[in-house]
Parts: sequence; structure tokens; C-alpha cells
Amino acid sequence: MALILTDEEQALADSVRKFVADRSPLTSLRHLISSGEPYDADVWKQMTAQLGLAGLTIPEEYGGVGAGVSALSVALTELGAGLVASPLLASLLAAEVLLRLDDAAAKTELLPRIAGGEVIATVAVASSAGGHVTATGGNGGDVATLSGTISPVLNGAEASVLLVPADSDKGTVIYLVDGAADGLTRTRLTSVDHSRSLARVQLSGTPARALAGDAAAALAAASDLANLALASESAGAMKACLDMTSAYARIRVAFGQPIGAFQAVKHRLADMEKSWELGHAALRDAARAGDAEPGRFSVAASVARVLLASAYADAAVDTVQLHGGIGFTWEHDAHLYYKNGLSNKVLLGGPGDQLDRLADSLGI
Amino acid sequence: MNDDFRARARAWLAANAPRRGSGEDDGESGQTTIADQKAFQAKLYDAGFAGITWPKAYGGQGLTGAEQIIWSQESRDYDLPSGAFFIGISMPGNTLVEVGTEEQKKRYLPPMLRGEEIWCQLFSEPGAGSDVASLQTSAIRDGDEWVLNGQKVWTSGAQFSDYGAILARTDVSKPKHNGISMFVVDMHAPGVTVRPLKVATGHSPFNEVFFDNVRVPANALIGEENKGWDAAVVMLRHERIAIGTMGSSRTSPLAFDSLRDLAAGLGRTSDQGVRRDLAELYARSKAVQLFALLLREESQAGRLPGARGSVAKLAGSELGRFAGDVAADVLGDQLAAFDEDAMAAVTISIIAAPGSAIAGGTSEIQRNIIGERVLGLAKDPGVDRATPFNQLRVGTQRQS
Repeated sequence: MALILTDEEQALADSVRKFVADRSPLTSLRHLISSGEPYDADVWKQMTAQLGLAGLTIPEEYGGVGAGVSALSVALTELGAGLVASPLLASLLAAEVLLRLDDAAAKTELLPRIAGGEVIATVAVASSAGGHVTATGGNGGDVATLSGTISPVLNGAEASVLLVPADSDKGTVIYLVDGAADGLTRTRLTSVDHSRSLARVQLSGTPARALAGDAAAALAAASDLANLALASESAGAMKACLDMTSAYARIRVAFGQPIGAFQAVKHRLADMEKSWELGHAALRDAARAGDAEPGRFSVAASVARVLLASAYADAAVDTVQLHGGIGFTWEHDAHLYYKNGLSNKVLLGGPGDQLDRLADSLGI
Repeated sequence: MNDDFRARARAWLAANAPRRGSGEDDGESGQTTIADQKAFQAKLYDAGFAGITWPKAYGGQGLTGAEQIIWSQESRDYDLPSGAFFIGISMPGNTLVEVGTEEQKKRYLPPMLRGEEIWCQLFSEPGAGSDVASLQTSAIRDGDEWVLNGQKVWTSGAQFSDYGAILARTDVSKPKHNGISMFVVDMHAPGVTVRPLKVATGHSPFNEVFFDNVRVPANALIGEENKGWDAAVVMLRHERIAIGTMGSSRTSPLAFDSLRDLAAGLGRTSDQGVRRDLAELYARSKAVQLFALLLREESQAGRLPGARGSVAKLAGSELGRFAGDVAADVLGDQLAAFDEDAMAAVTISIIAAPGSAIAGGTSEIQRNIIGERVLGLAKDPGVDRATPFNQLRVGTQRQS
């Protein structure tokens, strides 16, 4: 159970990095900002059809690659470094929920199409402040109607399939909602992070089908995977900030010397390097646990998320600060990371929620 | 093969070493336990667990980093009563393996591993801490010998050491880094005086060492004359790696497990702030351990940690400070005064916490190293680098 990358993982990292550089450099994120598109459909097609990224954690029997959590983490780290806009995170979490539930029909019908990228699916979850949904009807049968609001939902406006946890007379149940269903209103919100499309999802007597299986366990598994995924993206993005800022501190001259010679700059970068190394080591441990020691995965993924969410957000602010004025312009890439860092820190459970959950797991 | 080694290590430790948790972790200062420590180190050597990666010719086991990792993992929860040998083996020992003469390696390395001779490191001086290259202890050649005069400080284990690796100035007319040499010094030689140094906690875990016309033979030189700084860099690298990857005991008063239990005992675990602090402490402790493990794995794969040892050192020191803060939060006003032994241990550990960010190279120096050697940032201009030492202002001396 090594923390360092295997040759296969290194090859995957290299190919995703090359893909990002060739097909989705930061200039294409700027094109998306101007065009208002949530993501580049061609890039998404290549990510799924060519690289198989949406199916990395989906078993082969459901049309996925079945490569596992560590491979996923490696790929997401590279995508995170390049701030690649895509519905990948939404799809991964929806697939995880389906895999953990016991609804054979939904698995067979949806998982191969999620893996192939033809269906964009999402789980409509947010913090308690983000609203909730109530289910009515369905007496004994599995058809119900849902009402309520959830916000923000990952790719909620683009998803053609929504998995909606709702309060029913049987407790929390996860319902399948078609993107074209009656009484479903999706409103795309202004995302702080330009690489993430988020929406408010309103349901008003919306027809839905109850999915069989343990909803709480499925949502907990999705939370763990979300922690691993956001920690991976944050690790990649934080490394990009560290590399960008170190490079600038080596060439930018002030008071007769490169600014990196000044301890006020040097020490801040050294702290950034330290925080990245620690977060990265924790991330590798979580990725390995995901494949080899599932019983340890939840805590390990929380640890990685707690460390990297804060470390990246801090590093992104320092990236702005250490670049000085240029770092605060729209033209410079620093703000793209700064906003991604702010958003990654709070999505699907912010630091306080994460620490509370970790404390519970640790028996504190 | 690795599985065999692991099984052998596990069985030997279970049969021969005390598990951690007895609370008594004073192996460095208790003169009375030195005989026991020497006996334990000898047992460790006989069982084949001393000098795991050192060549067999010098008493080592000639094994790889893989076995070293396994040993660290397996021994982590034991209180190995051979702490007096830790500094000698990991610092002067590793340095001799790299830069010592064949004669020195044959003479000094095996007795170190066999538990016969204890070593200390003599670098810091009252006027030369972070800027250790400005040291003023002198070594003057006199026939076939060198004569040492000066004062060292912060020397762990000097009171029971048989030998020390000392840095002394051998040419004051050269710039400071270019006039230093490293020697082996016999700590029992006439003119060596060791005095305990009392620190902020009230304990004396270190010493001051005075050298008054102490004579060492010419073959005591480690590396070349006036090239002592090169050997010192090797030793400081080993020091940072040793400290950074030492790992912490799960039962030390500031460890996560201890503070969780303390918080439960004091009824503090219903406080959300305390719960979050403890959870964060768990996360940060885990990351420091995992980073040390990652560095070891990389070494084993042929990628040496180099200056990233400073990341481990810095991270370990910061973790200590953070754990001290969490402990203070858990204790609340119980920190202000205590009369129970359990509280004494945690309170003394809180008082001791800042020391780890100074000992073995301050956090500020580690950040310089990380910035310059890991991130490739420009060096500080260093106004002192080209000035002959005898024209340089050092320590706290006033300009006349």
C-alpha cells in the first residue's frame, strides 16, 4: 500500500495533463465565461468517450472502466490544476449514489450512459441552509410527487437526470427525477467559481420514482467520494498556484533583486509548499484507502478534504497577494483560482461541517 | 523477504521492548539509565536491527530503505530505551558513513551500533545559532595535534557522551564558511567541561560544553581541513530528516489520543470548538506522519528527500505548536495552575511546545531552505559571505 504513484497512475496523470494543456487550457475557461456556456461539450465528449473519466469508478458490468478511486484522484488532480469546467463531479456523485442503492433497473438503465457521458446526472443535495424536499403519495408504489427547493446543485440546470433525496413517510428516500418532468424549474445561478455550473432546483408536485436501497448509506458514500474528489481537484489547483507564484517570485525584480529573495515572500511560499506536501500526502492515503481499505476511506477522505480545502483557499489568496497588483486584475489567472478555492472550500460541506463529521467518526 | 523482516521485527519488539505509555520518556537526561540503554542497544544490534541501511563492513545490516520503513512502522508504538544513541547514529554516524575516512568508519561506527559508545553533536554556540557558520570555537594546529578552545551550547546528551562531532574555526582569514573544520573529539579528554542547561520548562535536557585547550589528533579531522562546512551540511540534512521523520508517540501528552481522552475526562467534548480543534489535530497529525512515510517511500524508489526534509521538520514543529494550542483550549483555566501529575505532564508539554520550532534549526531557517532549495528562489544576498571572518561582526558582539 504505497503512497507514491504507480507507473500506471503516473501514465494516467501524464495523459490527463497533456489533454488539459491541449484541449482545455485556461484560455478556454475565459471563452466559457464570455459565451456563458457551462462547459465545452466537445471537451466533455473527449473526457468521457476518449479518456473514460466519467466511468473510472463505475464497474465494467455497468459500462465503466472500474479503475478505482486512486485513478480517479490522479485524474481529478490534473483537471483541477487546469480548472477544467465539466459536469464530471456531478456525474461521479450520481453514479456513486446509484451504485450504493439497490435499484437494479436504474443501475442498468443509467450507469452505462453516465459512464459514456451521454447522460448528465446530478444529486440534488446542499447544506441544511440550502433547502429541502418533501415527497407525497406513492402509497406502497414507487411513484410520488416532490415539492421543495434545493440550492446550489452541481450542474442542476444541465442534468437530464436528477437524484433527489426527499423526506417521505418512510424517512429519507432518494427519488429519480427526469430533467423534463412537470413542475421542475432549474435556474442557473451566478457561480463564484467560473469553472463550476450551479443551479437552484425547484420542485412543485414534480413526479418522481423512488429508488430502492439505503438512502442514508448512499448519501454518506457520495459525501466521502465528494471529499476525495474536491480534495483532489484542490490539490492540483493548489500546486498550480504554488508553481505559478514561485515562478513569478524567481523572475519579478524589486529593490534590485528577485522578490523571492525577500523572506516576506520566501517564507510565505515555503509555507504554501509545506501545506501542499501535507495535503498531498493525506490525499494519496485517502486515494489508496478508497481502493484497498474501504473501512478507512471515510475518515481518510475527510482528513484530505479538511486539509486541502483550507490550504488551497489560503494559497489562492496568497497567489493574488504575492503577485501584487497584476494578481488582482481580471486579465491574470490568479482570480480564477481564488474563486475556485473559495467555492471548493464550501461545496458539499464546508470546513466546520467536515470537522464536525470527522469528530463524530473519531469518537470525540 | 520484506514480510520475513516485518514478522521478525514484530516478534522481537513484542518480546524485548516496552510498549509506549509508561509516561517516562526521559532517556536523554537520566544518567542512571545509561547502562540500561547501552544494554538495550547491544540487544538491538545482536538481533540485527541496528544500522539497518549501513554497510555490513561497519557493523550495519546492509539492508535497504524498505526494511528501514518497516522497522519504523513496527517500532512506532514501542518505547525503545536506547534514545541516547539516536543522535549519534542518525547524525554523526550517518555523516561518517558519507564523508568519514575508512579508518574512522571502522573505528567509530561499529561501537556506536553495538551500544558501546555514545555520541553528541557540537555545532551551536552562544553567538552562532541559526547562523552557525559564524561559530568562534577555534582549532589551532600544534604539531600532530589540534588544540580546541571555545564554548558550545544546546548539546543533547553531552553529559554521557564518549565522543562528539565538533565544528571549529581553523582559518579566521577566510570568509566564514571557508575556514571551518569538523573533528571527532573525545568527550572524556582533559579540558572538556559539561554543564547542564536549564530551559523554560525548568528541566535541563541540554548542556553547555566548554573546551579549554583540548587536544585532538590530526586524524580526528572529518572531511578536509577548512571544508568542515560541507560535512556540516551533510549532518544538518540528516538531522532534519531524523527529526522530521521521527514520528510522534501516540501517547505523548500532546498527541491526539491523549488530548481526546483529556477532553473527555474534563467534560469538554460537548464544546463544538474543542471537538473541531481535536478533529483538526487528528487531520494535521495524520498528514505529518503520512508525509514522513511518503518521503521514505520516495527514498526507497531512488528519489532522495534532499531539502524536503526541511518541510518535514517545519511541519512537525508547527504541529507541536498547534497541539499546544489545542491542549490549552481543552484545559481552559485549568492551564493556569495544576496539582495533579496528569495535568503537570500536559502543561509542561504546552510550555515546551515552542522549543521544537527552534531546536534542530529554527522554522525561519527551514523556510529559507525550502524557499531556496525546493522552490528555487533567490538566496538572501548574504553581505557576510565574502568577508574574511576576522573582519566580520558576529553574534552579539558590538562593533568597536
